[in-house]
Amino acid sequence: MTIKSISVLACVVLLGTASLAQKQQPPEGGTPKNFVLPQGSTLTLESGLAATLVGYGLVPKVTIQVGIRSGNIDEGSQDTWLADLTGEMLKEGTQSMSAAEIARQTAAMGGTVAVSTGADRTSIEISVLSEFGPAAVNLLADIVQHPAFPVSELARLKNDLQRQLSIQQSDPQTIANARFAGILYGEHPYGRVLSTPKIIDGFTIERVKAFYEKNYAAVRTHVYVAGRFEQKHMEEAIRKGFGSWKRGEPFAPNIPKPVSQRAIYIVDRPKAPQSTIYMGLPTIDPSNPDYRALQVMNSLLGGSFSSRITSNIRENKGYTYSPFSMVSSRYRNAYWVQIADVSTDVTGASLQEIFKEIDRLQAEPPSEKELKGIQNYMAGVFVLQNSSPQGIIGQLAFLDLHGLPETYLSNAVADIYASTPKKIQALARDYIRDQEMTVVILGDRAMIKNQVARFGKIL
Amino acid sequence: MRWTAFVVIPLFLGAAFLSCQKRGAFEYTVPVEYFTLENGLKVVLSPDHTAPTVCLAVYYNIGFRIEPKDRTGFAHLFEHMMFQGSQNLGKMEFIRLVQDNGGVLNGSTRFDFTNYYEIVPAHKLETMLWAEADRMRGLDINEENLRNQQGVVKNEVKVNVLNQPYGGFPWLEMPQHANTNWYNAHNFYGDLADLDAATVEDVRNFFKTYYAPRNAALVVVGDFEIENAKLLIQKYFGPVPSIDRVQQPDISEPEQNAAKRSSKTDLLANKPALAFAYHVPDRGTPEYYAMGLLDQMLLQGDDALLRDVLVKKYGWTSGLSGGINADLGDMFDYSGPMLWTGYLFHDNAVGADQIIGAVDSVFASMGAAPVDEATLARAKVKFRSSFYDMTTSFFGFGRANLLASFALFDNDPTLINTIDRDIEKVSSVLLQQTAQKYLRKTNQTVLVILPGSGS
Repeated sequence: MTIKSISVLACVVLLGTASLAQKQQPPEGGTPKNFVLPQGSTLTLESGLAATLVGYGLVPKVTIQVGIRSGNIDEGSQDTWLADLTGEMLKEGTQSMSAAEIARQTAAMGGTVAVSTGADRTSIEISVLSEFGPAAVNLLADIVQHPAFPVSELARLKNDLQRQLSIQQSDPQTIANARFAGILYGEHPYGRVLSTPKIIDGFTIERVKAFYEKNYAAVRTHVYVAGRFEQKHMEEAIRKGFGSWKRGEPFAPNIPKPVSQRAIYIVDRPKAPQSTIYMGLPTIDPSNPDYRALQVMNSLLGGSFSSRITSNIRENKGYTYSPFSMVSSRYRNAYWVQIADVSTDVTGASLQEIFKEIDRLQAEPPSEKELKGIQNYMAGVFVLQNSSPQGIIGQLAFLDLHGLPETYLSNAVADIYASTPKKIQALARDYIRDQEMTVVILGDRAMIKNQVARFGKIL
Repeated sequence: MRWTAFVVIPLFLGAAFLSCQKRGAFEYTVPVEYFTLENGLKVVLSPDHTAPTVCLAVYYNIGFRIEPKDRTGFAHLFEHMMFQGSQNLGKMEFIRLVQDNGGVLNGSTRFDFTNYYEIVPAHKLETMLWAEADRMRGLDINEENLRNQQGVVKNEVKVNVLNQPYGGFPWLEMPQHANTNWYNAHNFYGDLADLDAATVEDVRNFFKTYYAPRNAALVVVGDFEIENAKLLIQKYFGPVPSIDRVQQPDISEPEQNAAKRSSKTDLLANKPALAFAYHVPDRGTPEYYAMGLLDQMLLQGDDALLRDVLVKKYGWTSGLSGGINADLGDMFDYSGPMLWTGYLFHDNAVGADQIIGAVDSVFASMGAAPVDEATLARAKVKFRSSFYDMTTSFFGFGRANLLASFALFDNDPTLINTIDRDIEKVSSVLLQQTAQKYLRKTNQTVLVILPGSGS
């Protein structure tokens, strides 16, 4: 309190003496408050299943996520989306409960079971009123361990997948992303973003059951609880609900060898008013000590509103609305990508500005001031990432997926501030190698071909 | 529980009612401190010391509904101009100021307000109050800034509507079909020609008319001390000159007396889609809360009645979306006529008539008899659970959105603590009556999207 009052007074003096013609400087504000990473407790059952519980917040709700170390990575070449179908089938009833009963029971707790299938992991999550926390754990435990997999629902869910596939195939960003991943990862499961009608048609209940038996097991599962709850009751529910699950086999890593070369891949979309650009290349993954610094570099280059690429092609040129770059990570693997939907007539101009910004960062280090700003931003975002039950679960799941030590989080802020301007420049040079960049453009080929030809051979 | 020190009990009645409810050991009340500055600016403070951050939001009572008739899309274009420079912050400097201080920011334009918010480390509250007050005092916009933002906004329309299958469905299109008053029924994103026609003079006039303290609410949620925040707010916002509020145009919507249906071919879509909408009861009435529960029963969650029929029984779709003020807000953050909308993407094999037939019969059953107590109880729990989520969503912004809406539109942000009570009061008989009166065929508008891809 006193420190804040002093800073207020200091500001009054400052404002009072500023001349009218001069622009005012923003007040500094008070003294930074400590951020303490929300602390949890972890328990491990004999079966190998682990659980982490983090008390957080004031609102009487609790989020429970059962995270399974399985996803599209476990699919064979003729299995694309079998992981998704298996996940969806979990909600169709257990050996003792129908799908309708599950729906009514979860609704009565104020929640809905959400299954999300990703490349490396599948999550089964629910957020309920706190008083129903233990009951929700029981219910998720039943859904995950004793699915009924009723064949009566298979045709409907397969038809849903077919419809979703068809809709996704009309979405510009999905098409460009699928092509980009296909080029980088080839025959690896990460390269198969979209399934095919034929593959979905071939799914049977036996294949769903086999996928489940092979990939769902206690040793591949981590239960996360965050929000308001009674520790003792929740722990009891977890021990009771998951205590007798089969141990199973640990996940077997399947690490890809992505490739990239400087080339332009045009996916034709006649009359498209915009070109959807995905340009990038494989880069270092979270297990690399430079990963945090790479994130800082990315935020400065294209990963934030005030980043160089966004300032340039959005705020100065008006070529696009929501450009952004990111590091997209998987287990022991990652790629950097710049994404932008730009007006068709400035497709070439946009590529030029993006490459120009990459080259500029490679050629000269950012100023101390610019880097400090981005570091402050990253530190602020890190606090936010750890300031909601869902965010906390996300951070913990990230650690578990990548096998990172707890210090990855506890040292995060220090690590963010550790990078120097020269380091940022070196990372841009080492990891954002534009001469190897895969450039996918979904747009009107006839309109953009000549605009982009000078940036690489068109494939 | 440090926060209890700041709790302002909203209404004794409300508190008493809460204690009657069987809610286990978990209690929850949102702290609310409300006052108005001499220049008319409404201020709501709601401390929450869970995380060392603050969310600061400024809501101006100007939505896209009442923008000038020859300048469709202008309210939203103007939102972009608020980031282009003020007296003390040049282009990009506002955005840099927030990010360089460790924060995130955004703005949006909705039916009845345009908002601007920042979530920053707690000790930067003063910095952001200064910055928001600075742009409330005036903008410094030049021709070039306007031109590049026209480019950005046109690209926003392209990425969200023109180059997107189902672009604008149903959120942008349904109001144009279901409403008849121009203010509720025009293209809120704007015709590209209207966007191009905007001048720097338009920007100045719009600011002068609508961006005044008397037409705004400031909300701070998060880790701060009330007394200190009050001093800072008085210091930075107190001197902003007061301007009289402009008179609002008549935005009322005549009662609909015949079912409507529109259909369009979407050249980018592979699958058909369908949306249905109904005009809802006036905000704050008992029927309105009943409508909130009908939404829960019919549309939200895995036990929703429409889901039972359209997803589980017929398999025409994998799910339904929608709600009151769907995709543009929630049932609290508007003021005026509003729609309840539901929509789905479905197979080519099923036609709109079949789907509407099934929807109609579900709604008819809601009007035919009162729902059973278990269904009503589930809907109330679902409502409470989702309302709690709103009060914590996005690091305090969800709470700020509710408080700003209740301040701007009801002059009473403590409503945040009594909504639950009004929902609890809804009986199965009132639900039935509301279904009969509002989910009637003559209050229905259907929008059909036919896939044109490959044709």
